[in-house]
Amino acid sequence: MQRWLMHENLKYNLPEDDPQCRFISQLTDQFRIKDAPSRSEKLRFYDTFDWRLFNNSLVLYQSENTFYLRKLAHHEIIDHLELNAPPSFAWNFPESSLKERLVPILKMRALMRLAEIHCRTRPYHILNRDEKTVVRLVYEEIRPTRKKDAAALQTHLWLKPVRGYPKVATALAKALETAGLRVCKSEDLFFSAMAVANKTPGSYSAKVGIQLDPAMRSDEAAKVIMRFLLEVMQVNAAHLAQDLDTEFLHDFRVAIRRTRSALGQIKAIFPVRTTNRFKKDFALLGGLSNELRDLDVYLLNENTYKEMLPENLRNDIDPLFAHLRKKRSRAFQKVLRSLKTKKYARILQDWEKFLNLAQRADSSAVNAGLPVIVLARKRIFKRYRSIVKTGSRVLENTEDEMLHALRIECKKLRYLLEFFSSLFPRKKVDTLIGQLKKLQDNLGDFNDLCVQEEYLLNISRELPAARYETKMAQVAIGSLIGMLALKRKKVKDAFAKAFTDFTAPPNRQLFKKLFDSRIQKVAS
Amino acid sequence: MTTLALYSNKGGVGKTAAAVNLSYLAARTGAKTLICDLDPQASATYYFRVKPKLKSGAKGFIRGGRPVYESIKGTDYENLDILPADFSLRKLDVSFNNLKRSKKRLTEILAPFKNEYDFIFLDCPVTISLLAENILNAVDFALVPLIPTTLSVRTYQQLIAFCTKHNYDTGKIYTFFSMVDRHKKMHKQIMAVVPKVFNGVLQSFIPYLAQVEKMGIYREPVAAFAPESLASRSYQNLWHKIQAAMLSGKLHPAQKPEALS
Repeated sequence: MQRWLMHENLKYNLPEDDPQCRFISQLTDQFRIKDAPSRSEKLRFYDTFDWRLFNNSLVLYQSENTFYLRKLAHHEIIDHLELNAPPSFAWNFPESSLKERLVPILKMRALMRLAEIHCRTRPYHILNRDEKTVVRLVYEEIRPTRKKDAAALQTHLWLKPVRGYPKVATALAKALETAGLRVCKSEDLFFSAMAVANKTPGSYSAKVGIQLDPAMRSDEAAKVIMRFLLEVMQVNAAHLAQDLDTEFLHDFRVAIRRTRSALGQIKAIFPVRTTNRFKKDFALLGGLSNELRDLDVYLLNENTYKEMLPENLRNDIDPLFAHLRKKRSRAFQKVLRSLKTKKYARILQDWEKFLNLAQRADSSAVNAGLPVIVLARKRIFKRYRSIVKTGSRVLENTEDEMLHALRIECKKLRYLLEFFSSLFPRKKVDTLIGQLKKLQDNLGDFNDLCVQEEYLLNISRELPAARYETKMAQVAIGSLIGMLALKRKKVKDAFAKAFTDFTAPPNRQLFKKLFDSRIQKVAS
Repeated sequence: MTTLALYSNKGGVGKTAAAVNLSYLAARTGAKTLICDLDPQASATYYFRVKPKLKSGAKGFIRGGRPVYESIKGTDYENLDILPADFSLRKLDVSFNNLKRSKKRLTEILAPFKNEYDFIFLDCPVTISLLAENILNAVDFALVPLIPTTLSVRTYQQLIAFCTKHNYDTGKIYTFFSMVDRHKKMHKQIMAVVPKVFNGVLQSFIPYLAQVEKMGIYREPVAAFAPESLASRSYQNLWHKIQAAMLSGKLHPAQKPEALS
């Protein structure tokens, strides 16, 4: 016991008959005790909506005017920074090591204040003959508000050894045990704070996190996937109006796109009329925010674009971004209005009703009753083969349109793999998704660059022509388009390697092994 | 991690008082801080109410590693630990001299603690010998308290000359005025001249105050037992100047040769 007592703090449950720690005064026979004034502090906890810090086992909190970053379940502070209120985004933090740590984790997501608790502590110092503190006892009480009549969420006693004085700490621990106190598991305060705020850490993630049963009917499995996507849509739509960051809209749109893809790719499971109706509906929903998302992306890229320009042109391009910002705020209002329309409410209501309807066993759709694993294999393998075919043709003759078509096909395969990943060995599917992602990154970059070049060309005409600033901005935009075109050529040249990597024998064999129904039949 | 020595080749200039208060102020910002008492007189150790004893004495200290690690004690203040002094440290110079790499021994002893602490303060004894060279090699900055008297300035010139001769970067040597009596004309005159002649003079001074001497009675940093006193505020001001000047990582330009004349 003695060894770990040298450094570890111990947390004790208080005796039920003495919640105020009166028994500490009885320890005075054995120990020289000095009590210090009690201290109150308010702790505020922060994270992003999708729990990026928590997912990295980090806790960010504010006490008075200092922000602290520490590891979950550890007391040691990794970093701290004096700051009255945190900016929404990591990149707006003052230059500091804390900023450097936060930027790569939070990226474009806004920090939100998730919970607040009040903590009152009263320290007791155990002194030696020189009146030096050799161990501390700290009574701690945590409440949801400052008011004393609010029920305490937790009351504990901490034994905090001082480095280099293990004997006294051990003696005190023994005395506490004799007094009937028991060491309790030290749960991170973060969890109590979240419980107060009625929040479940890690509860939101835009990743498809569902578990399917391989023997499930295909139509029911599809509904499980679609219900999950609907939930993502609803959760994000509820936060859109606050305009905290760009990712609520992004996740909302991805859920719509995935729903459309599921409707199209998990074929012949619902009546044709139903499928067609909702396909149309979701195409409409997705289209509502196209312009807003484009503008978000341009504005997120502002610094990247500027860094591509020669230094003397960097500030000249500012009128463009001022213009885009104005456009964005109009587009944003338009999206909010469209989400309040009857049409929108109707689509989601009907969709929810349909998803909650029990599937009838005598469904007319051919694949409805098929075990989901069979359908999943069939669809994924077909899509994969089609990509190999299209890609090989692109290799012979790299046309922009063909690349675009291939990009769409890859996206469909990606969604299928994600929908059905729970049916297959996780590591293997993850490997394939990783490989596919590399190819998608190449195709995505190419498409983005094409679109951006054209968009910039068009937008430059929208700037007020007569102004001197516009002329300067147009020069900068021209230069930017040139840089983008150069980059596009590089990306296009890299396609051949990205594609041959993806269709390399190991991946080919893994696709066959996991999804080719002929091989599966032979195996069974 | 930053290592700072409170160093002087002249005695009784306020090294220990500065080391104790500055390390306390550094720890109070939340930075993990260690103060190493290298002075066999063990005054810093006394101020923190710790017994002046190292595991296996100076022998263990020179060996480094475990005996040093196990000698470290927590102070009464959060984030602040002390490596106590030991009477046997008085022979440190001789002991270093008998070893290979005799000028880099202290650097090697401190190396294992660089990950654990954000700041390491060294409270040094009066020396301008092998131990001084060890100190200059081990630290990022040396902070020299300077009493504004002619004798003090002369000693400081000797230090600069010593560093120049032995090729130590004088850019990491900073100085501040200590035990200043504003009623004395000579103090005022010297304080006006010194910053014009020397580089790295911090614009902050510690007055000659009874409060600082009372640290011996309270056995606490003055910034702890009288946080609002003039003495405490002077040390706080000095700490801010140190943070601004040194911890931004910059060295000041090396001393000009005329500083020595």
